[in-house]
Amino acid sequence: MLEIGLNHYLVLAAIIFCAGVFSMVSKRNAIGVLIGVELVLNAVNINFVAFGKYSGGNTSIDAQVIALFVIVLAAAEAAVAVAICTNYYRNLNTIDIDRGDAVSG
Amino acid sequence: MSWYEQFLVAGTVVPLIGFAFLVFFGHRLGKPLSGWFTVLVMGTSCVLATCVLFSWHGLSPADRAELTAAAVSNQFYWADMGSVPIKIGVKLDSLTVIMFFMVTFIATWIFVFSVGYMAGHSDEIDGQSKYHRFFTYLCMFAFSMLGLVISSNLLFLFIFWELVGLCSYLLIGFYFDKKFASNAAMKAFITNRVGDFGFLFGLMMVFFFLGTLDLDQAAANFRQQYASSTGLFAIGYSIDLFGWQVSGMTLATLMGVGLFCGAMGKSAQFPLHVWLPDAMAGPTPVSALIHAATMVAAGVYLVARIFRLLTPDAQMVVAVIGCITLTMTALIAIVQTDIKKVLAYSTLSQLGYMIFGLGVGAWTAALFHLMTHAFFKAMMFLGSGQVIEGCHHEQEITKMGGLHKKMPVTCWTFFIGVLAIAGTGIPWTGPGIGGFYSKDEILAAALMRTDHWPPEAEHHAKAAPSDEELESGLSYRLASDSPEHGATDTSAGHDSQPKSEQAHGPSELDHAAAHHVDQAALVARATDSEHPTSPLPKWLFWFPIAIAYVTPFYMMRLWWLTFMGKPRDQHVYDHAHESKLMYVPLVALAVGTFFCSYWVFRPLLADAASAATDATMVVAIDGHAHDADHAVGLMLHHDVHRDLVPIVGFAFLIGFGVAWAIYRNGLELATRISSMPGIAFMHRALRERLYIDQVYDFVLVMGCRGFSRLCSVFDAWVVDMVALLCAALVRRIAAFSGWVLDARGVDGVVNGVASLTKYAGNAVRQPQTGRVRNYVLFAAGSAAVVLLLILAGSGAWSAVVGWIGL
Repeated sequence: MLEIGLNHYLVLAAIIFCAGVFSMVSKRNAIGVLIGVELVLNAVNINFVAFGKYSGGNTSIDAQVIALFVIVLAAAEAAVAVAICTNYYRNLNTIDIDRGDAVSG
Repeated sequence: MSWYEQFLVAGTVVPLIGFAFLVFFGHRLGKPLSGWFTVLVMGTSCVLATCVLFSWHGLSPADRAELTAAAVSNQFYWADMGSVPIKIGVKLDSLTVIMFFMVTFIATWIFVFSVGYMAGHSDEIDGQSKYHRFFTYLCMFAFSMLGLVISSNLLFLFIFWELVGLCSYLLIGFYFDKKFASNAAMKAFITNRVGDFGFLFGLMMVFFFLGTLDLDQAAANFRQQYASSTGLFAIGYSIDLFGWQVSGMTLATLMGVGLFCGAMGKSAQFPLHVWLPDAMAGPTPVSALIHAATMVAAGVYLVARIFRLLTPDAQMVVAVIGCITLTMTALIAIVQTDIKKVLAYSTLSQLGYMIFGLGVGAWTAALFHLMTHAFFKAMMFLGSGQVIEGCHHEQEITKMGGLHKKMPVTCWTFFIGVLAIAGTGIPWTGPGIGGFYSKDEILAAALMRTDHWPPEAEHHAKAAPSDEELESGLSYRLASDSPEHGATDTSAGHDSQPKSEQAHGPSELDHAAAHHVDQAALVARATDSEHPTSPLPKWLFWFPIAIAYVTPFYMMRLWWLTFMGKPRDQHVYDHAHESKLMYVPLVALAVGTFFCSYWVFRPLLADAASAATDATMVVAIDGHAHDADHAVGLMLHHDVHRDLVPIVGFAFLIGFGVAWAIYRNGLELATRISSMPGIAFMHRALRERLYIDQVYDFVLVMGCRGFSRLCSVFDAWVVDMVALLCAALVRRIAAFSGWVLDARGVDGVVNGVASLTKYAGNAVRQPQTGRVRNYVLFAAGSAAVVLLLILAGSGAWSAVVGWIGL
């Protein structure tokens, strides 16, 4: 049976990362883009934790701490992003991010 | 400090306090009260002055000399001017005491008159009463004049001199809302500045050469320098004055003439006399106080004080200026029809007599004339003020006439003034009044200087004693009323008046003897001096004599046309009335006129003369006309006066008679005479004041304007051209730098940078679409590319391929 190793985690993270990026590129809905951002961040978190488990030894929790930080920052980022979306909607009556060029000069 | 000085200082300071009080509280005192306050202030001064005068008169000459010396030692150190200490002090001698009394006495009565005069005059300008201001100025004037009189120092004399000038300006221009009054004030002020320039010049020379500004000290230094050929008279010393080498005597003459210039301005001597007639624009009491009695006398007083600093040439200038003034202005007075103008010109003429008197060496007589003139002229001016006030501000005598019925007191006091100025008296014996003593004495001195000079030359030639030789060789020093002469006369057995010797006393004789020893040193210089005193030219005597006939004529004309005959303007006549407040001063001054003719003044002045004319170079002789036996300081040669009587003794009768004959029946005869062919021309010239004002207008005013026009042409054509040329040049340069350098060069660089930035900005801007998804795609794509490159670079590519191959 196949031993689950570092590479498996990395591939999973890469797939989630690519899904996130794809979501950010393809979605016109701002919420969809936000979800993509969350996916990218979580892909990175998986990478951190995986590297932590396989390279730092069992006793190190550095990677987990960094991952926790990223989660907190992601939460903050999500809050700000949702607020921006709310204002965006108030101004433009839509959350289609392709209409965002309306704010350009 | 003796009480004399204290009283004099107090008498000077009291008006200053009054002035300060009126400045702050005058408007609260209001209309009649501030006037009466001023009278009180002046009266206080007058009482002090009277005490001093009477007590001083009671002293012996030796006591007076002692007090004079004590006053010098009481001077206060004030400041240093360079290395020269300036001291404040009271000049205490008979002249000061008399002048002080004269000023305070006349001022007091004129202030009383002013209260009456101003009561009937509008004093409001723009709804503001200026009544108290008038009296404030009067107080200030009194203070300045008294300060001038008691100053022992030329610097302080000059300061008070200028203060007096300022007060004169303020009072002439009292009705400053009237154009002619403010113009007259400016004219007086500016004309005086011309004289003061000369005065300052003289002061600087005194300071520079004599090293002091103290009157006595300067005279002593002057004498000493002359005797020892140092300082001003140092041999070989000269200064370069605009390329003119000036030395010794000429320099001293310049100094004397410079100081005299101040007197010319203040005492209104030709050619600076033009301001005085115009100054009649001020209120009449001011004319009486300042422009007849006291202020204009300041110039004469100054010449009397600097007498010892004069040289024979400077004295000659003084005499000539006086002679010109007295002649010219008396002639102008004949044809004037404004009552105040006639009096103004007669004042000028009398001032001319005084200056002339000082010029010919009649020191005592000139100052005596100053005193008598002050009293009777103040009285006549007040009389004219009474007339003007009574006649509804009518000043033309052609419209008056017959006023003696309406204003008897004014009429007869005025008549006393006319008698006094004409020199009325009984020839040979007296009694007489005013000018009979003072003016004739000046004329006697003039006669002596022109016809009998040097005096008694043959007597000196054959007299053996060396003193006489000295006296003769030193023909400069012949003050007959000075102690030396008393001594000389006695030793020569000359028939002198015993009284003069008694008056001088034995101590004076000692002094005289000592003085002769001093003089021995001067003889060598004097005998071979290049400036011996020769007889004066004859015309210097004959012009004043001729004017002695003219004076009674124009005064009688004035009096007759005003008070006698038939009324020529019924309206004026009906309106005429007399005010009691105003005729009381007239009576007081009439009494003063008699008082000063007979008592105290002449002897005291003669007493002062011995010290004040104690000069090395100039001649002070003092005539004494008509043998009035109350006077001391008698002249040596009585035959001179005997000569004088046939010449001038009956002048007043002839003058009065001619005036009466012409004006007896009003103006018809005078009009006919004045329109005769030869006379009409002269009449017109005199009416136009000999065209002197016109000449000044033409030369000075037009000259100024012409010069300014020339300047403006120069400005327009030369200065403006240069400016325009510069402007054009600058414009060309500016155009070049603007179009070529700035617009193409600098702007080009700036615009180039700007457009470059713009292009770059546009180019960089293109990817900035504003579409978030594009950015993400771009970022992700870039990251993928970077990743591939890293993998390829590290050789991990094959490893990945290999792992996928698993």
